[in-house]
Amino acid sequence: MDPAENSATTMTRRQFFGRSTTGIGTLALASLLNQNLITPTAQALPGTGGIVPGFHVRPRAKRIIFLFMSGGPSQFETFDPKPKLNELSGKPMPKSLTEDQRLAQLQGKELFCMGTKFKFAKHGNVQADVSDLLPYTAQVVDDLTIIRSMQTDAINHDPAVTFFQCGTSQPGRPTMGSWMSYGLGSANRDLPAFVVLVSNSHVGQNLHTRYWGSGFLPSIHQGVRFRSKGDPVLYVSNPDGINRQVRRRILDGIRQVNQMKFESIGDPEIATRIEQYEMAYRMQASVPELMDVSDEPDDVFDLYGPEAKTPGTMAANCLLARRLAERDVRFIQLYHRGWDQHNALPTDITRQCNQMDRPCAALIKDLKQRGMLDDTIVLWSGEFGRTPMAQSNTELDNYGRDHHMLAFSAWVAGGGFKAGTLYGATDEFGYQVIKDPVHVHDLHATMLHLMGIDHLKLTYRFQGRDHRLTDVHGNVIPGLIT
Amino acid sequence: MTKFQSKWVSPQLLVALTAMSHGLVISPIVPASATTGRDGNHDTPVETIDFNRDVRPILSDNCFQCHGPDEKARHADLRLDSFLGATAPLKSKRFAIVPGDIDHSELITRVRHQNDAERMPPPESGKRLTPHQMDILRRWIQQGAHWPAHWAFVKPERPALPAVENTGWLVNPVDSFILMRLEQEGLSPSPQADRHTLIRRVAFDLTGLPPTIDQLDQTLFDERPNWYEELVDRLLDSKHYGERMAQHWLDLARYADSDGHHVDGPRSMWPFRDYVIDSFNTNKPFDRFTLEQLAGDLIPEATLEQKIASAFHRNVPTTAEAGANAEEYMTKYAVDRVNTTATVWLGVTMQCAQCHDHKYDPFTTKEFYQLLAFFNQVPEPAIYNGLYAPPTIIASDSAAEEQAELDALNDLATMLEEKWNAALDASNPQLDADQAEWEKTTSTSNEVDTDIKNILQTPAEKRSEEQNIQVRRYYRETHVPEVKDLKTRLTSAKNAHSEYDKTIQRIRVMADAPERRTTYILLRGNFRQPGDAVQPGVPKVLGDLPPRNEPNRLTLARWLVRADHPLAARVTVNRFWQMFFGQGIVKTLDDFGSRGEWPSHPELLDWLAMEFVESGWDVKRVLRLLVTSATYRQSSKSAPASRERDPENRLLGRGPRVRLPAEMVRDNALAISGLFDRDRPTGGPSVKPYQPPGLWRMISSDDVAHNAYQQDHGGDLYRRGLYTFWKRSIVYPAFAVFDAPSREICTAIRPVTNTPLQAFVMLNDLTYVEAARVFAQRVMVESDGSFNARLDHAFRLALARMPQPDERRAMTNLYRDILKHYRLDEEAAQNLVSSGESPRHDNLNLVDHATWTCVCSAILNLDETLTKE
Repeated sequence: MDPAENSATTMTRRQFFGRSTTGIGTLALASLLNQNLITPTAQALPGTGGIVPGFHVRPRAKRIIFLFMSGGPSQFETFDPKPKLNELSGKPMPKSLTEDQRLAQLQGKELFCMGTKFKFAKHGNVQADVSDLLPYTAQVVDDLTIIRSMQTDAINHDPAVTFFQCGTSQPGRPTMGSWMSYGLGSANRDLPAFVVLVSNSHVGQNLHTRYWGSGFLPSIHQGVRFRSKGDPVLYVSNPDGINRQVRRRILDGIRQVNQMKFESIGDPEIATRIEQYEMAYRMQASVPELMDVSDEPDDVFDLYGPEAKTPGTMAANCLLARRLAERDVRFIQLYHRGWDQHNALPTDITRQCNQMDRPCAALIKDLKQRGMLDDTIVLWSGEFGRTPMAQSNTELDNYGRDHHMLAFSAWVAGGGFKAGTLYGATDEFGYQVIKDPVHVHDLHATMLHLMGIDHLKLTYRFQGRDHRLTDVHGNVIPGLIT
Repeated sequence: MTKFQSKWVSPQLLVALTAMSHGLVISPIVPASATTGRDGNHDTPVETIDFNRDVRPILSDNCFQCHGPDEKARHADLRLDSFLGATAPLKSKRFAIVPGDIDHSELITRVRHQNDAERMPPPESGKRLTPHQMDILRRWIQQGAHWPAHWAFVKPERPALPAVENTGWLVNPVDSFILMRLEQEGLSPSPQADRHTLIRRVAFDLTGLPPTIDQLDQTLFDERPNWYEELVDRLLDSKHYGERMAQHWLDLARYADSDGHHVDGPRSMWPFRDYVIDSFNTNKPFDRFTLEQLAGDLIPEATLEQKIASAFHRNVPTTAEAGANAEEYMTKYAVDRVNTTATVWLGVTMQCAQCHDHKYDPFTTKEFYQLLAFFNQVPEPAIYNGLYAPPTIIASDSAAEEQAELDALNDLATMLEEKWNAALDASNPQLDADQAEWEKTTSTSNEVDTDIKNILQTPAEKRSEEQNIQVRRYYRETHVPEVKDLKTRLTSAKNAHSEYDKTIQRIRVMADAPERRTTYILLRGNFRQPGDAVQPGVPKVLGDLPPRNEPNRLTLARWLVRADHPLAARVTVNRFWQMFFGQGIVKTLDDFGSRGEWPSHPELLDWLAMEFVESGWDVKRVLRLLVTSATYRQSSKSAPASRERDPENRLLGRGPRVRLPAEMVRDNALAISGLFDRDRPTGGPSVKPYQPPGLWRMISSDDVAHNAYQQDHGGDLYRRGLYTFWKRSIVYPAFAVFDAPSREICTAIRPVTNTPLQAFVMLNDLTYVEAARVFAQRVMVESDGSFNARLDHAFRLALARMPQPDERRAMTNLYRDILKHYRLDEEAAQNLVSSGESPRHDNLNLVDHATWTCVCSAILNLDETLTKE
């Protein structure tokens, strides 16, 4: 589909600028628009292209699903076993490792090594270590790139989530999803380019709309949260007493008068508004259709698990993520909360894994069986990991772990990432990365690269500076991609 | 050619240059500049190159990154941000720039070099100069490489009014500058807007509300020549003027009702919001307004109002996160105060200098921390908890009485507590004897507190002193009537104290701790890496603090609004301009530095800045000038040709046409429907209007009580937008989709977008459904029964005009079709007219009311209704 051909508004803009922009590429025009802070409505319209004209590099993926484990899951109970910690569990942590290092709640406390309650086994051809908390994930390891050398810059939740989403912990910057919307536009005319799903399985850390905000980018690029209760998209439903026919009739009335205004004034914003009201009308059909999973066959529910029938669960959201991906939504952001286990970690992480493991693995299998994993990036990560040191106490049934930013685990799959790969390594305590570090900035750069974008070139000028998702850092990591 | 033309040239050219510096080859998007001979054709007669306008942007965009003010990032020891640097000998013994001599200017050789390895900027930067840019550099060096300071850092002088041809068009001096440019470009101003359009425009601009029917009737037929000026004066005198101005200022002040970080708990800062409203309404001089907000607490004999004003810098977002590092957050708070002060009063991007010397503007890291030293002296907690983190004051005119009352209740409780303690411990042989008796009988009773029972197992003589005291107190508390009575009185006194305390409205304010904290430069902005200590100070390029004054916030504030400050007045009038005209004279409201945009009318900006300062920073006076100008009064209609010529209206050849900001979208609907009570006094605690259930809870942290949204009722449902509770982690959704910021940082510019989610709000949010229903009710009640009379009234309420014939036709058809529908479905009609909590007139015909609700909803959704035009 050539999006430009499909958008009346884009045509309006084009005609509008037609004579004065002969010979200017879309990029030039778009960058002019944004530099001049004109409402960049046209290029941001759903169903239209983004700021990046062609692609900087050959794109491997069309969309991203980010499974965000809010609170910071422990790598020591999931993907990064440390026999040494089991051996030394309850013994003091070597000072050489922790001296002068930044700690969160353990700052100034005595530090003890903490082993894990859970068993690990090798899985798949790749022989990946996966704990017995994740039996389903273990089945798909040959489709994953498991990174055990993640690093970030922030040690508290709010700044660290902001950092993971925006590449900086300063509020007011765009998130990954909004950069994608800005850079690549939307491939769907009836849905937003950036959709957020928050699972209700467990309350945890506060979420801020900033985590899916567009910062200084126009707000059309912000994530739209689809809800499991009430209106799936805020205010999408007509009020009591107005059905779809009446709505259509009212919209026709509005359009007629707006059209008259447009003809007499010629302000392209009016044309845009007409188009946006039409889009809203289409969304009133496309959103419920998307959210209604009753047409999914039984084997799909077998895959995601019975919870997928309960709206708001992680399982239901993973299934919705696939449905959104099918509809070419550019960036699909899931939040699964409840991973902040300063104490009672064994109980709580068991609950978390039970909610998350099967649906996340199902998503991989489902995308794969539909041939969509090749052009869909799936990322699983928290904002940071957890300490090899115990918090609260050191009993094997009831320990906790503090925040850890120097080394943690994440996985990526599909969209050009190297399947069946173990990447990076940590020291025997899991405290520091000793091989192939992947900083959050690097992950951003690599994901952008697979989406066809050079992370150095996707910029937006704000307050005199050309900002990027990767700030002034980030390297594409060749070892992660095929 | 006038003298202005040589100094200030078209912004279009600059736009083109900026674009070209990004490696794009384009022609100016507004061909208007062709008339000046600046069409990129290099054979046109050579004009004098203006360094600030023509050259600095090229250098800044392409060279400063490696050859700018940031010493650590500098390559080849060459700096191109100063004349001295650019003309100093290079290591190669050559010179980057030799004024007047292009052949010996290495800069020219290098930017033109064919060899990738030699050419500047280097290919890996992705930048390359266009031939036109090279030509500008070449001509500039040839003409002597004149290098004046950046315009915005030099104090403005009042320019003479430019000569124009069409003097009949001029109303006030503003117009001379606008017309001069238009004439220069061969354009004419647009005719004056229709009277009703103008009335509606200026009512929105000065009060944020549409005109009432009375205001309309009074003004439309006013035949006095000064009818418009009189209208402007009435609007400026309205209490709603202060509300409208405050709405804009609160974005800058990043005012909110929640803490922002982490659990985002509530705070109670609304007395500051009311201070802002009142200050605008009383037309407080802007310098005074500045002083009070930055340093109200430090003004000698500070009044309550001035102390409340100082809450400006307690609006910083704060955290309650247990694991947060105290030093890190104390630093964050102070950094935010520096950045906000710099954006609001200096219009510069000071935050760049937090980690390294500024890449484009002459601000060093040291200077950043010198500014920070003014703002990190507050005796505030690092980890905030509760509504009133110190320092606080009672925000009430009767603060002294309230404090006295509170003290009295506290004294009473203290006195009772002392008495009670004394009674528990007083030597009293009789009681001791009674106690011994009691012990014998109760040592095994289950009625006794477990701890006490355990102690009683031990014989009295073997108990510790502490245990004996414990038993004695227990016995007396439970068995001696006088002690029991004292306890009751004590409890009620304590309750009285805490209940009264809850009724007291406090506010977080600024204060400086008696002991000065030492401020250090933080290396790379990292709070864990303090470098050298610094003293409070201001950026050198902007002048010095007045000598012999204590270097505190008050001195800083005085320095900011001193008469010859290059920035404060310019930055402020530019924001006023933006409020009315949709964009600033300098479009980058928050960046007047070398990367900021060249002003469209620099002379006008300086003239207005001087007018502002010399009038004693009289805000209403400047605003009056703007809205009474002929420029402002132009129609926003435009011929396609003119729109194509200047799509952004940078030359102001037509009136503004801009979508209303978020709060005004709401206020407009409430005012049109009559739900908004115009007589209600301004101010008061923030309110919680309708919002879909579960919205806060869904993303909030563990069951925190404050995250349950307690919707208000009655009149509080229909207050103006600026009174809506501003929760930073989840802004009121109807505002968020209309581009309202989260107020986590100081925001000078809101983007203006146009999205389907806005349609959802306007069509389906209960606020707007109810507004349509009540609007319909109003139209039916206030006009006679005929359709046409009702439609006329509806249009006048919403658009301040009568419907056009074709509009009338469209609306008539809409009405007919919908009416047919509801005749067949009265239940649906009933549901629709039952929306919202405001009462319905029961005597209205149900089907008719439902139908009119749909028509009125359509009118509320018209582009024109949502637009100031």
